Amino acid sequence: MIRFLLKRLALTLPTFFALMFVTFVMIRLVPGDPIEVRRGERGISPERLEQLRHEMGLDQPIWKQFVDYVWAILHGDFGTSIVSKTPILHEFATLFPATLELTFCAMIFAIVLGIPAGVIAASRRGGVYDQSLMGLALTGYSMPIFWWGLILILVMSNTLHLTPVSGRVDLIKFYYEPVTNFMLIDSLLSGQKGAFWDALHHLILPTIVLGTVPLAVIARMTRSAMLEVLEEDYVRTAKAKGLSTYRIIGVHALRNALIPVVTVIGLQIGGLLAGAVLTETIFSWPGVGKWLVESIGRRDYPALQGGIMLISTVVIMVNLIVDLLYGLINPRIRHAK
Amino acid sequence: MPSDIAAAAPAAPTAPPGPLTAFWRAFRENRGAVAGLIVVVTILLVAIFAGVIAPHDPIEQYKGFTKLPPFWAEGSDPRFLLGTDAVGRDMLSRLMYGARVSLFIGIAVMAVSMVFGIALGLIAAFFGGIVDVLIIRIMDLVMAIPSLVLAILIIAIIGPNLTNTIIAVTIVGLPRYVRLVRASALTELTKDYVTAAKVAGVRPWRLMTVSVLPNCLAPLIVQAALGLSDAILEAAGLGFLGLGAQPPTPEWGAMLADTRDLMMSHPWVMAFPGLSILTTVLAINLMGDGLRDALDPRLRRS
Repeated sequence: MIRFLLKRLALTLPTFFALMFVTFVMIRLVPGDPIEVRRGERGISPERLEQLRHEMGLDQPIWKQFVDYVWAILHGDFGTSIVSKTPILHEFATLFPATLELTFCAMIFAIVLGIPAGVIAASRRGGVYDQSLMGLALTGYSMPIFWWGLILILVMSNTLHLTPVSGRVDLIKFYYEPVTNFMLIDSLLSGQKGAFWDALHHLILPTIVLGTVPLAVIARMTRSAMLEVLEEDYVRTAKAKGLSTYRIIGVHALRNALIPVVTVIGLQIGGLLAGAVLTETIFSWPGVGKWLVESIGRRDYPALQGGIMLISTVVIMVNLIVDLLYGLINPRIRHAK
Repeated sequence: MPSDIAAAAPAAPTAPPGPLTAFWRAFRENRGAVAGLIVVVTILLVAIFAGVIAPHDPIEQYKGFTKLPPFWAEGSDPRFLLGTDAVGRDMLSRLMYGARVSLFIGIAVMAVSMVFGIALGLIAAFFGGIVDVLIIRIMDLVMAIPSLVLAILIIAIIGPNLTNTIIAVTIVGLPRYVRLVRASALTELTKDYVTAAKVAGVRPWRLMTVSVLPNCLAPLIVQAALGLSDAILEAAGLGFLGLGAQPPTPEWGAMLADTRDLMMSHPWVMAFPGLSILTTVLAINLMGDGLRDALDPRLRRS
């Protein structure tokens, strides 16, 4: 197992270095430099401009800038945002929990509804339940989530007044210092009455919107995995032994069908952490995705560089962990390597 | 379809059905897939003939006819069947021309991805060694960066417009094509017919394109269908963020973004572009599922 782990880790290292190179080069290619953008806004003197350029190292030769960049990253310094003047790592650390919280809730939503839906569809293959559930799943899979978000806001928030439109918590009613930056935990820690429910309320719509596609994917995957497993000999044996349908499906079939489903779930998490861009934009959710898009508009090179490096690293790590877990639950993979 | 196999299709009536006939029979059984196909063909026709059937110019702004509701609502105008947007442009015409934009992006992305995917995938599989490692590493790298973030980054560099949307969406989706072609080619390369061809002295180029490639096509066709719907969704997402086709191009995603301020008072302005995206993508996916079931004999119902 240790060898397997080391081998997989070694494989990610070149990817990581290439990632640094690519983000560095790409960001340099973005037209318009941050100083120019600022001059347009504030009208500062040419001398001050040169000084700023020097402070940020933008007057150094490009290779020197790259070496400095790699050196800094290896020391955990991902640069300083040109706009907010705070270290990227710090900025990322305050925004990432919001994205993580949303992703986590979306994944729970998708798993809790998706696996049963897939199991029900598979056990009633070809029936009304199967067809309607899979029809819904395909619709969810085809959904433009930015439109889905707007529809939900229109119906749930503006017409029925059931949920808030945007943000993470009602800042007029509640105020507390962030401790963990996970709103659900912070609101509980604050001890303010109703704060937790308010934070939960704010999570409902973004969770549904972000969770829709993984829900559809998980339901479809569970169904096809179950169908495959239900044809196995051991399921026939279990039936012949006279076990109840619930026991056959719940214990014998589901456990084996879950192996591919776990992989899919893992792959979805990686995608979601970053794919939250649209959801975060619609609901003004202060997470990493929204921040990255805004950084492009602000020409905040370091924020973009550092942000993409960090989020990609997280995605690579998540995929690595999924690979390892896959090896754990399916020994055939581990021993094959 | 490979020519040597397709030629067997019009054989004597007693012979087993050719692959195209067998494929069509399997595909036809799946009602959803047929429905999807019909919808896709309809949308394609609308896109092609938008210039003829659209009642108005999609970017013409009719002053005094802004924010009209669709025909069933009160206060509508029969000249604007689905109403007008905030600046008085005809919704129906914009949707029709929007189909053209979205399908064009989707099909262009699909075609370019197929060409590069097949080329890179075959090269990686055939040459192996350092070439293979290099191609696969680059593809892994592209996959390591979250797709929408990468697309946004590419757009930030090359600028937002229709062509660049196609480039960005292609780059983001390419690894799946390359890996698929490479994997199927590697499987095919271990088979006896390839050894036989090599022994018979078939040149590598011919071996690649004539012997191996046709046998990798089935999964590739399925990937192309799914890739088409993904490309349309992704391009609409970019349009929604203002990073895709630029106004006044009637792109469905961008049309949605325009309506955000209006959506409370005039919800239909938001409803139609979204419905168009959903219908198109859903129909393509239905068709793709049917293609997969019909082309993959392992999943075909016996």
